[in-house]
Amino acid sequence: MKDFLRNNGLLILIIAALLAVLTGVGSVFLRGTANPLSNVLNVVATPVRDGLSWLAHQTEAIYNYAFEYDALKEENERLRKENADLAATAREGEAASRENERLRQLLGLREKRSDIELEAASVTARSTSNWTSTLTISKGSAEDVAVGDCVIDAASNLVGVVSEVGVNWSTLITVTDASLDMGGLVSRTECAAIVEGDFSLMSQGKLKLTYLPDNADVAAGDQILTSGRGGVYPSGLVVGSVESVLTDPSGMTRYAVLTPAADLDSLIEVFVIKSFNIVE
Amino acid sequence: MTRRDFIYKWLIYGLALLPVWWLDTYILNRVPLLGVSPVLLPLAAVAVAVQEGAVAGAGFGLAVGLLCSAVYAGSSGGIVLGVCLIGWGAGAAAQYVLSQNFGGCLLCSMCGLAGLDAARILTRLLNGAGDFSAMLRLAGLEILWSMAFVFFIYSWFRRVRRQIAKFLRL
Repeated sequence: MKDFLRNNGLLILIIAALLAVLTGVGSVFLRGTANPLSNVLNVVATPVRDGLSWLAHQTEAIYNYAFEYDALKEENERLRKENADLAATAREGEAASRENERLRQLLGLREKRSDIELEAASVTARSTSNWTSTLTISKGSAEDVAVGDCVIDAASNLVGVVSEVGVNWSTLITVTDASLDMGGLVSRTECAAIVEGDFSLMSQGKLKLTYLPDNADVAAGDQILTSGRGGVYPSGLVVGSVESVLTDPSGMTRYAVLTPAADLDSLIEVFVIKSFNIVE
Repeated sequence: MTRRDFIYKWLIYGLALLPVWWLDTYILNRVPLLGVSPVLLPLAAVAVAVQEGAVAGAGFGLAVGLLCSAVYAGSSGGIVLGVCLIGWGAGAAAQYVLSQNFGGCLLCSMCGLAGLDAARILTRLLNGAGDFSAMLRLAGLEILWSMAFVFFIYSWFRRVRRQIAKFLRL
């Protein structure tokens, strides 16, 4: 047996075990900073991935123009109408804002404000493992992106949280990843709960709202926002909407299944929240 | 085989791994079936190990394991040892127990993927994360979907092996 192992790669197995330990220990100590091997590989691959992602986007645009012209025209008309409605709502909002500001001054309240520093990035790769839900983006430590930064789409919908940072790339876990959990808030009733990924829902592209209080008023269609409690993540980012409210197998507590607001499958551009200062 | 031939041989195997890596990491994960994408890199380690034997399988498995650790998000160092063991085990099994053909590769691929997923499930269970039945379902789907690519991967590396033999006049 000893000879068999000696002649059949025992040394290679020992090297593999040492490398495994080294990588494992390294990932613990580096705390989200990519290990050197991963960093080098991704630094080289990032420009190629950027190019491919641009090519895929252009091909999709040409395809849409050639084969889905009518649908795009219809969508354009619908968006024009929606834009007009939103402009009217914004005008009303501005008036309400001015009034709110005036009343706050009269009552001597602090002004609500939100200073957010954003970094635009493009999505260059999608989940590489069935056991996690991740996206790779084109910005990294060179642009001051850090582990724990929230990532949103153009409509301020939460996409995920940065989990690993390389020089010119970062990996983020999306809102559907089983390891994600953060404070959530039901927009309609302001009921606080926990937003978390769930293993069985991850493959369906959904997540959960758990630790709902007994008297929580949550219904299908309710919008869920980040609560911002603890100050780790900014508040008011749209996580998703309630699809259904269910009772867990023990029959003791309820949870809600959420559909993410961000379209994780077709994201092209995202924004990393590098720093925030929200005063409520 | 001279040292130069040896280097050329493994350089060619390394180059042959690139399209598999590309397909695995950038193409197939965009078209998941029932939310699951196939895993090709460990299959490449098995395909080479079955044809080249235990020592070469362990060496190639080590290289593939390092690549897996770099490209699969959230993977720990355990995958380096895991894929190296898969390569070594597949090489030894094909050399001494099974045969160095597609049948041997099919069986070794299934066992290798099952071993990797069992380790993943065990780690998550020990960390108290994840529902066992959901993980079992995911592992089953991943293995089934990946097995559909064994023939393609095996044929690709068999062709590469023949080209290497022709190139180096072995």
